[in-house]
Amino acid sequence: MAQRAVWLISHEPGTPLCGTVRFSRRYPTVEKRARVFNGASYVPVPEDGPFLKALLFELRLLDDDKDFIESRDSCSRINKTSIYGLLIGGEELWPVVAFLKNDMIYACVPLVEQTLSPRPPLISVSGVSQGFEFLFGIQDFLYSGQKNDSELNTKLSQLPDLLLQACPFGTLLDANLQNSLDNTNFASVTQPQKQPAWKTGTYKGKPQVSISITEKVKSMQYDKQGIADTWQVVGTVTCKCDLEGIMPNVTISLSLPTNGSPLQDILVHPCVTSLDSAILTSSSIDAMDDSAFSGPYKFPFTPPLESFNLCFYTSQVPVPPILGFYQMKEEEVQLRITINLKLHESVKNNFEFCEAHIPFYNRGPITHLEYKTSFGQLEVFREKSLLIWIIGQKFPKSMEISLSGTVTFGAKSHEKQPFDPICTGETAYLKLHFRILDYTLTGCYADQHSVQVFASGKPKISAHEDTDGTERLGSHSLQMAELRVRYSSILALEPVHLTVCCLASHCYCVLKL
Amino acid sequence: MGPLSRDAWAQRLGAFRASPSAFMAGPEGEDLGRDLLSDLRSEKLSEQTKVSLLALSMEYPAQLWPDASAAEVAATSLLDTLVLLPPRPSALRRPLLLAATTALAAGGALGPTSGASCRLLPLLLGLAAGSDPGRGFVPASEQRPLQATACECLRELESCKPGLLGGSLGLLRGLLGQEGPVQPLSLLLALALRNTLVLQFRVGAGLGGLLTDKVSPTGGGPWDWTLVEEGDGRLQPQAPSWPAAEEGEGERSLTAREHSPEEARELRAAVIQLLDTSYLLTPVAQAQLLWLLGWALRGLQGQPPALFKPQLVRLLGTAQLTLLHAVLALKAAFGEALFTAQDEALLLRRLTLAAQHPALPPPTHLFYLHCVLSFPENWPLGPEGEEAAPLLLGPQLCRGLLPSLLHDPMALLARLHLLCLLCAEEEEEEKGQLPSPRHYLEELLAGLRQRAALDGGPRALATLCFQASYLVACCLAGQPTVLTPLIHGLAQLYQARPMLAPHFVDLLDQVDSELREPLKVVLRQMVVSRPGRDEALCWHLQMLAKVADGDAQSATLNFLQAAAAHCTNWDLQQGLLRVCRALLRAGVRGGLVDLLQVLARQLEDPDGRDHARLYYILLAHLAAPKLGVALGPSLAAPALASSLVAENQGFVAALMVQEAPALVRLSVGSHRVKGPLPVLKLQPEALEPIYSLELRFRVEGQLYAPLEAVHVPCLCPGRPARPLLLPLQPRCPAPARLDVHALYTTSTGLTCHAHLPPLFVNFADLFLPFPQPPEGAGLGFFEELWDSCLPEGAESRVWCPLGPQGLEGLVSRHLEPFVVVAQPPTSYCVAIHLPPDSKLLLRLEAALADGVPVALRTDDWAVLPLAGDYLRGLAAAV
Repeated sequence: MAQRAVWLISHEPGTPLCGTVRFSRRYPTVEKRARVFNGASYVPVPEDGPFLKALLFELRLLDDDKDFIESRDSCSRINKTSIYGLLIGGEELWPVVAFLKNDMIYACVPLVEQTLSPRPPLISVSGVSQGFEFLFGIQDFLYSGQKNDSELNTKLSQLPDLLLQACPFGTLLDANLQNSLDNTNFASVTQPQKQPAWKTGTYKGKPQVSISITEKVKSMQYDKQGIADTWQVVGTVTCKCDLEGIMPNVTISLSLPTNGSPLQDILVHPCVTSLDSAILTSSSIDAMDDSAFSGPYKFPFTPPLESFNLCFYTSQVPVPPILGFYQMKEEEVQLRITINLKLHESVKNNFEFCEAHIPFYNRGPITHLEYKTSFGQLEVFREKSLLIWIIGQKFPKSMEISLSGTVTFGAKSHEKQPFDPICTGETAYLKLHFRILDYTLTGCYADQHSVQVFASGKPKISAHEDTDGTERLGSHSLQMAELRVRYSSILALEPVHLTVCCLASHCYCVLKL
Repeated sequence: MGPLSRDAWAQRLGAFRASPSAFMAGPEGEDLGRDLLSDLRSEKLSEQTKVSLLALSMEYPAQLWPDASAAEVAATSLLDTLVLLPPRPSALRRPLLLAATTALAAGGALGPTSGASCRLLPLLLGLAAGSDPGRGFVPASEQRPLQATACECLRELESCKPGLLGGSLGLLRGLLGQEGPVQPLSLLLALALRNTLVLQFRVGAGLGGLLTDKVSPTGGGPWDWTLVEEGDGRLQPQAPSWPAAEEGEGERSLTAREHSPEEARELRAAVIQLLDTSYLLTPVAQAQLLWLLGWALRGLQGQPPALFKPQLVRLLGTAQLTLLHAVLALKAAFGEALFTAQDEALLLRRLTLAAQHPALPPPTHLFYLHCVLSFPENWPLGPEGEEAAPLLLGPQLCRGLLPSLLHDPMALLARLHLLCLLCAEEEEEEKGQLPSPRHYLEELLAGLRQRAALDGGPRALATLCFQASYLVACCLAGQPTVLTPLIHGLAQLYQARPMLAPHFVDLLDQVDSELREPLKVVLRQMVVSRPGRDEALCWHLQMLAKVADGDAQSATLNFLQAAAAHCTNWDLQQGLLRVCRALLRAGVRGGLVDLLQVLARQLEDPDGRDHARLYYILLAHLAAPKLGVALGPSLAAPALASSLVAENQGFVAALMVQEAPALVRLSVGSHRVKGPLPVLKLQPEALEPIYSLELRFRVEGQLYAPLEAVHVPCLCPGRPARPLLLPLQPRCPAPARLDVHALYTTSTGLTCHAHLPPLFVNFADLFLPFPQPPEGAGLGFFEELWDSCLPEGAESRVWCPLGPQGLEGLVSRHLEPFVVVAQPPTSYCVAIHLPPDSKLLLRLEAALADGVPVALRTDDWAVLPLAGDYLRGLAAAV
């Protein structure tokens, strides 16, 4: 269970190599074991240059895909996981765990403790999940709170020292690299006994527990017979517990209002010590009925120092927050579009902002536009072939707004217009962005009186904290909500020659308690 | 040279990292390792620079110190540097320990004879135990970090040399119970315990008091290497591959030995101790602990897997990749002993949920999906190692895992695979249900094809469509309800976007004949039904070269004829000729002759005309099988050679005579004693069917006149062949060696030449009888011959030993045709004619029990020694 090497590669399309190795680390003692375990099937970890080239080729990130290349495009080369075999110097290096995120490619090669021919099933290679966790850890470290390139460079320069702490010999000790950084800084502090490895120090100060709930709605509205509209809430509960003592025990309960939509698919942070079986089994896979467990959802845990995601959940709310209708007709040289949006009456009509993005793909720039809107203003981005309908803070009393108009396009130039395989002909979509304050779609909330804190070690204080430890719960400050209404037809179901495009919507809304 | 400055080192390290091999081959390469070690003690360099030097040595020890002795020297130097550090906090202690450990372990120097090892190990163990090796070696502030680092170093050494810490188990356990840092000690103890269990049981020993002995193994004395040596230095997989552990060398059989009750109790206590504090470990470390302990206890008597149960409840709720993976490993290790059917269902449910949870990143989804399809079931039904949908994974669970066009390619393919598995299981009777998986699959594939057909779309979309088609063809072969629409849809895709021809060719190469043959037919029809002047002509020709065969010849030829007029450039002409070539191989002759003649005249490009003419000549002169071979893929040409080179080499291979190992064997049968010349009877035997065999013989030393070649039309193994008669024309009566060459055609049409083992013509093979004298005149005839030999000839007497058959047997066996006068059983007169014109006369009279004296005369003195040898050898030649 170890890694032979790890790389960070920035993807730079348009440059000669299409990428640069920003960081790499090799683990020679693991490499030595790999040579013994893999025997005749051993393939050494290559130098950075050849690795970069082979990885970019395999991930299809080189600019050239003009010609059919069998070693990349053959139908039998099927990858169903983010684990690849890289052809380097006629030999195949496997398994290479790799993924691209924010123009950065994260890659590592886990040790396989047996021969590689025949290839063992991935599930039996313990280093694979460790490799993923390692890369996710690096990713979190690089991008948590990072704003610009110079911050990224600073963090990259910290990596060698951090990995000396978190992964000195290729066996990952802690995926939370921030912990290792704090550990280095805390080095002079004598640590108390039986300190958990995931907690680098102790908190001193006023006890405080902050909880925030974030919800997003993912929805597809087709407005089409035979295709069901879907919408699903995805929630994240984030906690920051500033409590004294080494191992304080905290219990947080999430509650729903009467008739609230039950929370499902609950995944918890590893610091949660036990779970009710009803929470474990509540799942969106099952058909919904009234008997579904609807809380309160109790999460007993021992918090780490930093802010962490206590749990994730999903939920099926009865209706999407905004219903949309989008119609498009091709009339000789111009497109006629009609859009109606309706806010559901149960949703709080108080937006921080709300705007609809109406892109036109696979067409030239907008040359002419005539429109009529019942509410809000329209901004035109001619070169980007994009309309933005700014709706503002509130829907009108009727809760319904509409936009109609005709758009004319210029000649299409391939370089500027990105290709979209879905939005061809009269298939299109629009996205709605909005943010509502002080509101959750499920109604889910954390009652501040339900939060219990037991600080271990000093019983007197803990008894005290039991009642007063949660003095400052986050007030209901709703920060962001965003709804994306997406209109599109699915090519699999819809022939392209239809004159009326069917309606679909894709909504996201983020709410914070 | 003095120490380098910080900048000089930064530059040097940068150059090294850019390409270690190039740097080491350069002028500075040789000194790097030495400079690095010496500059670590330089007072001019900052600690930060030194840490970067140490970091380099931790990554590239093999380049810096390429052999064990260099590694030993380096480790010694690093340890010296460590000892010489002033007694104040320093950032160098940890990296120095790590670097020394790396140098020893990676350089292969770790062992009882290594001085550095014998210094490092007790130092590490002392640090791990929290003690100070003395003289303020460890400043108080560094004590904890160094303790943890020492544990990590020991763990790495134990991984590289299993059994190293076998003697320290009790000590480590004690430390874990007291004040030590939990995570490093837990992981170290778990690994050492696992290795010790495996090694001790391999040699048939128990744990003994290892778990309770709290004395430091060094105790001031030398390190205990016995367990390492017993283990033979073999590495122990920390988490063996599942099927391998099942069969292979059998971890189970190794550990199925019973412990004494005390041993079992101590072992269980140690495991419980480790598991109880496991929540103090980071999630990734918890996962390592579970993998280690799970596989260590698997199959151990008296260690119930239920020990793990309290941990599982806690772990099932998380979606932490390493933790759920570790739970799956426990599942694989213990099966039903740890997971009841309900537990199994719950685990699968959590896994399915995690495979689609919107809060998790896509790579995690994909890995969980792989885990679902490779789920270690309690009672698996299918073959081991193949991805399959677990029995408990019903359609309901899979609902959220169906593929859609909005997924990225990998997610789509992974989910498509699951969908295919569902379709494969789908019962026909479920037709009423809507929408059926098969219906869903069909629509998805149609959508993929529609996207691939988009003009100007990226190649990745086309690739995805063909990968999906291939996956479906593999998983659902034998399901015409799936394959028929697939073929139809692919044909339409080709019609819409012929530039995907290379993808089609690739697909046809990869899939089974079940999809390939009907798809070929449909695609051929589609191509040949077009007018020959299409813009996409080059793609059509590429496609036709793949799908053209003996069927629908006239349509194909018509298309080619129409196309020929539009093949104005070299590319198109080559494409056209490639199709002709495919047709030639398929055995098409009639109309093709005309087409090739036209092409040989009409094509603008001289190379094209030449090729057309060549094909025409080949077609006119070669029989079909030979033509097939001549035009077939050449094995002689390397894969990357251009098609023209491959083609030429193919011709060379097919049309020239090949040197080959002999596929025919020849043996000499009994010779025929009739006629004016001796005739050798040869029995041929073929190892493979061969045709038009020509055997050529050459006599060494020109003892005989040149021999005629022998021709055999056909030889097949297992079918008896008629013997071949080879008349010999000796120029002198002597035995000879015949060189034999065979020239034949194989069933694949190649003409081969082979050198056969030589044949030997014996002296006796040359014997011919004299014409038979009239009845009763035998003796007179013989006497006349006898007298005529002298005086020019020679006379001799030879003792011919007799075997058990006696004289009568000997004569009847070997000399019967040549006997002129016989008075059985005691006296025989034998007259032998030796071509070209010699005679050999024998009188065998007055035989005794063990032999007979033979008087012999010949008119050719050179025959005498041969005759003597022959007679003396007769008894032996049964």
